[in-house]
Amino acid sequence: MSLVEFKNVTKNFGPISVLKDVDLTIDEGEVVVLIGPSGSGKSTLLRCINALEEINGGDLIVDGISVRESRSKVRLIRQEAGMVFQQFNLFPQMTALENVAFGPRRVRNLSKADATEQATALLAKVGLADRGHHYPSELSGGQQQRVAIARALAVKPKLMLFDEPTSALDPELRHEVLRVMQSLAEEGMTMIVVTHEIGFARKVGTRLIFMENGNIAVDGDPAVLLDSPENPRLREFLQHVH
Amino acid sequence: MEFEWSVVWQALPELFKGAQLTVMIALAGLVGGLIIGIVAGLMRAYGNVVLNVIAFIYVELIRGTPIVVQVMFIYFALPLVADIRINPITAAITAIVVNAGAYIAEIVRGSFLSIHKGLKEAGLALGLPLWKVLFYVIGPLAFRRMIPALGNQFIVSLKDTSLFIVIGVGELTRQGQEIMAANFRAVEIWSAVAVFYLIMTGTLTLILRVTEKRMRIL
Repeated sequence: MSLVEFKNVTKNFGPISVLKDVDLTIDEGEVVVLIGPSGSGKSTLLRCINALEEINGGDLIVDGISVRESRSKVRLIRQEAGMVFQQFNLFPQMTALENVAFGPRRVRNLSKADATEQATALLAKVGLADRGHHYPSELSGGQQQRVAIARALAVKPKLMLFDEPTSALDPELRHEVLRVMQSLAEEGMTMIVVTHEIGFARKVGTRLIFMENGNIAVDGDPAVLLDSPENPRLREFLQHVH
Repeated sequence: MEFEWSVVWQALPELFKGAQLTVMIALAGLVGGLIIGIVAGLMRAYGNVVLNVIAFIYVELIRGTPIVVQVMFIYFALPLVADIRINPITAAITAIVVNAGAYIAEIVRGSFLSIHKGLKEAGLALGLPLWKVLFYVIGPLAFRRMIPALGNQFIVSLKDTSLFIVIGVGELTRQGQEIMAANFRAVEIWSAVAVFYLIMTGTLTLILRVTEKRMRIL
């Protein structure tokens, strides 16, 4: 069953066209890795899915709901599509545990005790059981990003969106975040990942999309595309990121 | 000349009465101004075009006119144009609420908009309505940043109550003026009045200091 369906989606920032008639269907269980040069529209495409960016043309259906529907319907989409940001965006006035419990409490209206119990389990899952009472400023970048993943998971989404989750991290901290993402993929979570981590695309991705100038230029199996890219622009791009 | 302490002692009860009224007007003004300021500030920051324009006109109207003119308008002109008759104290409180509200609106707007946009997005991305994101995520962070500017505004408003002398409210400055008119001891009376104001603003500063210390600015 398709979880995300782009139908001729266009998106402009003023006179600049960022997405041009994008058609794309993503099914449950897929791990889609989005790559492309900066400005190619990959982050924008991701942010359109949970309506952080409004689309200008076409339609975009997420879990049966159009992003063009009322605000309350859009909130349902956002509850089904968890998001992880490049800059983590943890709430600085809350501890790691409070950050993770925030969604269940304020979105799913769980009691404080139940939300905290869930949050504790999720923090353990991302390997931070002993960091619950630390504030984000007291955690490393990799730890913060793992808390952010737990926070997004806490709302129990069907789909996870990752917007360059490792780009703000030092190389030695990236793998701890990638490992959490990999185990999530292995559990069968549907994931859409904007990244420059070609290794992750090869190992974890079930589908690779190369974007260029607001279009999907290449779409296919990661292993095949990465080993023998036919598209000359993709070949050139891979030479730069490898 | 000789500084006559006895003049000050004699004037104390009257000055105390005036100071009480000053505190009362200022407190009502700060509470009311804070409420109006938060509403107008959020209208400016997050409202649609209509709300935005309404709040903008309010802020510009108040910031663009002196508070003395505002209170004169409320007390003397309003009865003529709208048949609303109010006593001087109500007029004074209304003026300070409306006046402080406009300035606080800009403080609120500025501090809410200064919070990193990613936090708002993170809140929205969880599926929360905007008001909940503002209430639980942005508000607590913005409030911490507001404290220094709010402190400034509170002190300005407290001192602005002295201008209500023009409509005959018996606040601290007016009391001083009346005592002075009877005994002509300008040095003693105005020194005492100044000290009263200093004690009040000093207390405010202290309260704000403590609040700021207890909340880390993030």
